[in-house]
Amino acid sequence: MSGGIARGRLAEERKAWRKNHPHGFVAKPETLSDGTVNLMVWHCTIPGKTGTDWEGGFFPLTLHFSEDYPSKPPKCKFPPGFFHPNVYPSGTVCLSILNEDSGWRPAITVKQILVGIQDLLDQPNPADPAQTEGYHLFIQDATEYKKRVRQQAKQYPPLV
Amino acid sequence: MMPDMESNHHLNRFLREEDQKPLQHLPYTVLKEADISQRQLDDITQVCSTLSVARSAAIILLRHCNWNVSKLFDNWFDEEDEVRITVGLFKNPPVDQFSTYGSFTCEICFETFPGGDDFDDQRISSTFCDHFYCRACWVGYISKSIANDGLGCLSLKCPHPCCGAAVGEDMIFVLAAESADKDKYLRYLLRSYVEDSYRKRKIKWCPAPGCDHAVDFVDYVGGSGGACDVSCLCSYKFCWNCNEEAHSPVKCDTVAKWILKHKDESENTNWILVNTKPCPECRRPIEKNQGCSHMRCRAPCKFEFCWICLGPWGGSHSCNSYLQGVKNESDKRKEVAKLNLDRYIHYYERWVANHESRQKALVDFQLVQDVHLKKLDRKYRQTNPILSFITEAWLKIIECRRVLKWSYAYGYYIPKHEHGKRQFFEYLQGEAESGLEKLHHCAEVELEEHINADKPIEDFIEFRTKLVQLTVLIGNYFKNLVRAMENDLPEISSFGDYWSCYICTYVNEGSATMCVMCSSQSPVHGEV
Repeated sequence: MSGGIARGRLAEERKAWRKNHPHGFVAKPETLSDGTVNLMVWHCTIPGKTGTDWEGGFFPLTLHFSEDYPSKPPKCKFPPGFFHPNVYPSGTVCLSILNEDSGWRPAITVKQILVGIQDLLDQPNPADPAQTEGYHLFIQDATEYKKRVRQQAKQYPPLV
Repeated sequence: MMPDMESNHHLNRFLREEDQKPLQHLPYTVLKEADISQRQLDDITQVCSTLSVARSAAIILLRHCNWNVSKLFDNWFDEEDEVRITVGLFKNPPVDQFSTYGSFTCEICFETFPGGDDFDDQRISSTFCDHFYCRACWVGYISKSIANDGLGCLSLKCPHPCCGAAVGEDMIFVLAAESADKDKYLRYLLRSYVEDSYRKRKIKWCPAPGCDHAVDFVDYVGGSGGACDVSCLCSYKFCWNCNEEAHSPVKCDTVAKWILKHKDESENTNWILVNTKPCPECRRPIEKNQGCSHMRCRAPCKFEFCWICLGPWGGSHSCNSYLQGVKNESDKRKEVAKLNLDRYIHYYERWVANHESRQKALVDFQLVQDVHLKKLDRKYRQTNPILSFITEAWLKIIECRRVLKWSYAYGYYIPKHEHGKRQFFEYLQGEAESGLEKLHHCAEVELEEHINADKPIEDFIEFRTKLVQLTVLIGNYFKNLVRAMENDLPEISSFGDYWSCYICTYVNEGSATMCVMCSSQSPVHGEV
C-alpha cells in the first residue's frame, strides 16, 4: 500500500459499484465545475430501511478519502446538524468500522461502509454518543425520538 | 609531603576494626533487558515444545494469556479449539484451490495480477485463512500497524473485515518493509512481556526516565498501603506500591495527598482568598495593584469603591473614624485561609529545600567518587576500600535528605489537636535535621580542605574519626525518626474523636459530616 494506490483503488471501486450495488443507494465521485471527476470525494445517498422510522428518507452522505486510503478510512459526513445519536454536530459519523484505531481494515469497501451506516441509522450505539440532543431523546424519550426521526425522513425525500 | 610507612600502618590498623556488612537479601530482582529477553525466550520455548506449535503461534498464545504459561496450558488442554478460534490460529487452514491458475485481484488495491511465475510470490494470505492480498498491500498493512498500533501490532489480524485470522511474527518478519520495523516489533514484544504480564503486580518498568530495567518483586503482597522502596540498578529508588519516588517511612496515601496538594488548585484558591477582596458589587476577586485606595471594578461592573472599607467611593469618601462593629465574614474566611496557606508554605519550603539538598548531594557525591577519592588515594596512598568511610557518609546524607524531605509531608498531616504527638515528632525531626546539617558540612566543606590543602595524615585520621562518628550518630537519629513515622507515634496518646479535614486541615468533631471551615466531606462520612 505504498503511496498513490488511493486513486487506483477508488477507480476500481467505482467500476465495481456501477456493475452492481444495493438497491436505493447512490455513490458517485464528485464532478468539478470544469467537468473533471474528483475521485477523492464521493457524494452518496443512503435510503432509510423499510419497516423502520427511517423509511422514506434518502439521506445525503459525503465520503472524503485521503491519499492514505485504504490504509486509513474515509471521513463520512451527513449534513451538519443531522439528527442521530452517533453523528457529531458537524455531521461526521461515529462508527467502529470507520475508526482508524479500532475497526477499520483496508479491505472494507465503499459498499460495506454505506450498508454499515444504513444499519447504524436504526440501530444507534448508546455506548458512543456523539451529540447531546439525539442521545438524550434516544435514552429518555422514545416517543419524541421517533417523532424527530420521522420528521427528518420527510426532510429528505427521494431525488426523482 | 608523603606520609611515612608508620602512619600508613597506623591508619590500616585503625580501619581493620570495621566490619564488612553482610549482603542483605532483597525481596526483588532488577532485570536488565537481556534478562527479560531470556525469561521471555524460555517461556516461548517451553510452550513451543509442550504444545508442538511454532514460535509465532506460541507468542500469540502467550500474549493472549498475559504470558502466564500455566494458565495457557490449562486453557489449551481444556478447550484447544476455543482458544484457537479466539486468537485466530485456525486449525486446518483452508486449501488454496486457485494457486495454480488464473489471475487474481487484490481486494485492497483492486489491482489484477495475471497468473505467471511470480504468481505465488504476489498473492499472499495469512497462514490461517484464504483471504489473499498482494504483497505490496501486505507490506503497507504491516508497516502501518507497527507504526501506529503500539503493542496492538502483536495481535494483528488478516485485513479482511470479518476475518480473525492471526498474523504472527513469522509473517511480519518476511513482509516487514524495513529492518527498523522488525526492531520496533521486537521492542514491542519485549515490552509486552512486562506490560501485559499477568504478574502486573510483580514486574514493572523502573519509572526513571531513560532506564530500561524492570523490577520483579518476588514476594510482593499488595494492598497493605505501606511504602515499599525498590532500588533500581540505575540508582533510582521508587515505591513499588504507588510508583512515586521512594518515600518510606511515610505512607503512600500521605504522599498521594501531599503531591495532590501541591499540584492542586486549592493553593491558588487560598492565594486568591488571602490577596484579593471581592468587588462589593459583583463579587469578582480584585487584587490591588496601585497605591491609592480608590478602586474601580472592570467593565461591565465599573463599581467604584474604597479598598479599605469596601464602601462606595463618593465625592468626599472617608472611613477614618472607627465605627463599632464586627469583622465581616469574608475577613474571617480570609484570615483562616491565610493561616492555612502560611502553614502549608512552611512545610512545603522545607520539603523542597531537602529535595534540592539531596539533588545537590547526588551530584557532589558523583564528583567525590570520580575525582576526590582518586586524589586522596594518590595523596595518602590509600586504596578505595579504606576510603569507603567517605562513600558511606555521602550515602547516608543522600538517604537522610530523602527521609527528612518526606518527614515534612508527614508533619504537615499530623492532626492539629495532637499537640503531644507533634511536639515529640518535631523534637526528633529537629535533632535529626541539625545533626544532618553537621554531617553534610563535614563531608562537604571539611573534606574539601583535606583535598586542597597539604595536611599531615594525622589530621586526616582525625577527620576520619569525626566523619565516621557523625555518620553513626546521624544514623541513630534517623533511625528514631523513621521508627516514629512508621509506628505513627503510638506512645503519644491522642484523645477524643476528631477528624482533620484533608482540604484545609481544620480539626472537626467526630460527629461532623462536613468540615466546619470549608464544607468538604468528612472522609468517614463521605462516599463509602
